[in-house]
Amino acid sequence: MQSGIFHTQYAGDMSMRPTWPMRWRIVVVILFVLLFPWSADRYWLTLANQIGIAAIGAIGLNILVGFTGQISIGHGGFLAVGAYSAGLLATRAGLPMWLSVPLASLTTAVVGAFFGLPSARLKGLYLAIATLAAQEIIIWLLTHGDVIGIAESLSLPQPTLFGLDLTANGATDFSFYWIILVCLAGTVIFTSNLFRSRAGRAFVAIRDQDIAAQVIGVDLVRYKLLAFATSSFFAGLAGALTAHYRGIISWERFTVDVSILYLSMIIIGGLGSVSGSIYGAAFITLLPALLNNIGRAMGDTIPQINIYLPYVQQGAFGLAIVLFLILEPEGIVKLWRDVKDYFRLWPFSY
Amino acid sequence: MKQSLQREKLGVRYGVVLVMALLALMLAACGGGQPAAPAGGDEPTAEAGGEQQGGETTEASGEPIKVGAIFDQTGPTADVGNPYSQGIVAFVAWKNANGGINGRPIEMISSDYSYQVPRAEELYTQYVTQDQVVVFSGWGTGDTEALKGKISQDQIPFISASLSANLADPAETPYNFLVGTTYSDQLIIAQEWALEDWAAKGSSDAPKFAYMINDSPFGQSPVPDGTAHAEANGVEAPLEVPMPRGATDLTAQLTQIQDSGSNYVFFQNVSSPVALALQNAQALGMEDVQFVCMNWCANELLISLAGEAAESVVGAIPFDPVGSEGAAEALDYATANNIDIGGNAGPYVQGWWAMAILMEGVQRTLDNGEELTGENIKASLETLSGFDTKGVTAPVSFSETDHRATRSLRLFQVQDGKWAPITDFLSAE
Repeated sequence: MQSGIFHTQYAGDMSMRPTWPMRWRIVVVILFVLLFPWSADRYWLTLANQIGIAAIGAIGLNILVGFTGQISIGHGGFLAVGAYSAGLLATRAGLPMWLSVPLASLTTAVVGAFFGLPSARLKGLYLAIATLAAQEIIIWLLTHGDVIGIAESLSLPQPTLFGLDLTANGATDFSFYWIILVCLAGTVIFTSNLFRSRAGRAFVAIRDQDIAAQVIGVDLVRYKLLAFATSSFFAGLAGALTAHYRGIISWERFTVDVSILYLSMIIIGGLGSVSGSIYGAAFITLLPALLNNIGRAMGDTIPQINIYLPYVQQGAFGLAIVLFLILEPEGIVKLWRDVKDYFRLWPFSY
Repeated sequence: MKQSLQREKLGVRYGVVLVMALLALMLAACGGGQPAAPAGGDEPTAEAGGEQQGGETTEASGEPIKVGAIFDQTGPTADVGNPYSQGIVAFVAWKNANGGINGRPIEMISSDYSYQVPRAEELYTQYVTQDQVVVFSGWGTGDTEALKGKISQDQIPFISASLSANLADPAETPYNFLVGTTYSDQLIIAQEWALEDWAAKGSSDAPKFAYMINDSPFGQSPVPDGTAHAEANGVEAPLEVPMPRGATDLTAQLTQIQDSGSNYVFFQNVSSPVALALQNAQALGMEDVQFVCMNWCANELLISLAGEAAESVVGAIPFDPVGSEGAAEALDYATANNIDIGGNAGPYVQGWWAMAILMEGVQRTLDNGEELTGENIKASLETLSGFDTKGVTAPVSFSETDHRATRSLRLFQVQDGKWAPITDFLSAE
């Protein structure tokens, strides 16, 4: 029986996972992600990879929105910058993947910082509209590709990593699972530690009260731009991975709907939480697949509903999100915390 | 009091957790399992079709032939996506009611994908890996292009409602088949007609062309070939005006065209936005401009939406929905089985015959006594030479070096609220 988590040493206070249940859980998670691809077929690998890429992008957005409090509706555009930079670096400059992906992420960080400039003067909804403009500008540039010398869609060469053919024997999904996993793990470790550093604390201070943050010596513009750059770096990473994984990209994949979808991921998962971003990404990716499979199962038993299924699914998707937000506005991460607390404090749960 | 409230709140939370867990379990159960029956996006089922076919009620039995399909029933192109999907589903039901293919029923596994590329990729992967479909019927240009690498890798013969010429080169996309006249060829044929029409009107100088297109790879698809053709014929590079998705007014775009002095405007978009453009054009008094519709807006829906404004619009229609025997066959089936195609025969007939061409490949593979693999079906499709679609299209031929079904089509014009043919089959060659 515990009444709380108390630290008696600084080491415990600094530790990422101070208690044994936490350590056991992470071991289980690691074992699961390591064993999963060996038993999964391509469909599940595709879903897992989609979740992984979405999680990287969502963590990036959470750094900006959840931790720094700067609303952005331009995330889809930044994903596009990452995807197209990786694509152009791979096709035009012939760079290998291990170079094109980090370079594309850096490019996106620069572009993100540039489009973050309005945040020096704008806050809240005004900033949201400014980032929406960023989204539209980026997509406009891509649809009018001849302006910057690119075509409508971009085909990438067969992905290889250090001489390994990643598509051999149709194993694209399997090999990318590991690449995405490594990138996601790196993103999670970086972001978790970011908020234990000066920069991360400055981000949180800006979110909580920007004037107070300025008073205690946080350079607002510098840190806001840094937040935009960091956030866009991960958007770029997600975009670059998408480009190499899918082998062909067009701007249709990065419209404003995608920006909204990413926002809903972090709101549903939990604002200002790294694990919440992953839960949100999984939720938003799996929900349509789930609805589709339920529809399919129902369609087999009650064929008459087939006509209405597509519409019901669209409605159900919206309904699920609305219900979720009403019942648990703090997101999946809060839900999970309640479950943990319940068992930790059982039978005296309050 | 406070405690009971909290407990209640906790109860709600666990309710949510429980529901989520159940849903997750269902996902796992459904995703892993094999489908029991054809899951078409629409009615009627194969059984319902069987009763309507008079004496020929030879229900297909034997090992089913698995076909994957994705439709746009709720997305931005749903206006024509719905009747197209009905055409595909109806053809499968009709075929099954008439003994299937060599006694084997067609089992179609399909879903709506809302015109979203990632959804298309996910469904494609599911159908190919879990359901083991042997052929696939797609929809949009963006998603078909996004899938082309996988299609070649998985060796799945793939037809699509997209007739983008980018998909027609077997050296690059060996498993993509274009069942109709490509968008590029449609535009070239329409421009040839426009040049003749312009000359027939007694004008000596070159006409001016403009393109109003869907703001997507679908809209862009024929533009480069069309521009090249126009310039080769002494027409200055046509003005390209994208139509924003979900626009409720296109006056600004039309004013741009009016200012450019264009004589012929070619639409590469679906019916609803084009109908809007035609009404706006009428309001602007653009009577002396001839509007020409490519494939996906040249259908009955355009007429019912645009009303009088659609009068005298010319249409490049690759699948003849009126007057041909093949169209009547498809439409009679719809009437007999109460399929509500919303009065939009064009896309319905196109879906029916697109599937018919794909299934001909399956038929020939089975006739040759070969195993139903993607490779064999592809080879069989490539033997199609002068395949008769009962007048719906020009005779269809595929070869190892050319996956364009035909390079000809007939032009139609809206006369008294109906599409009427104004030419014989014209070729883009």
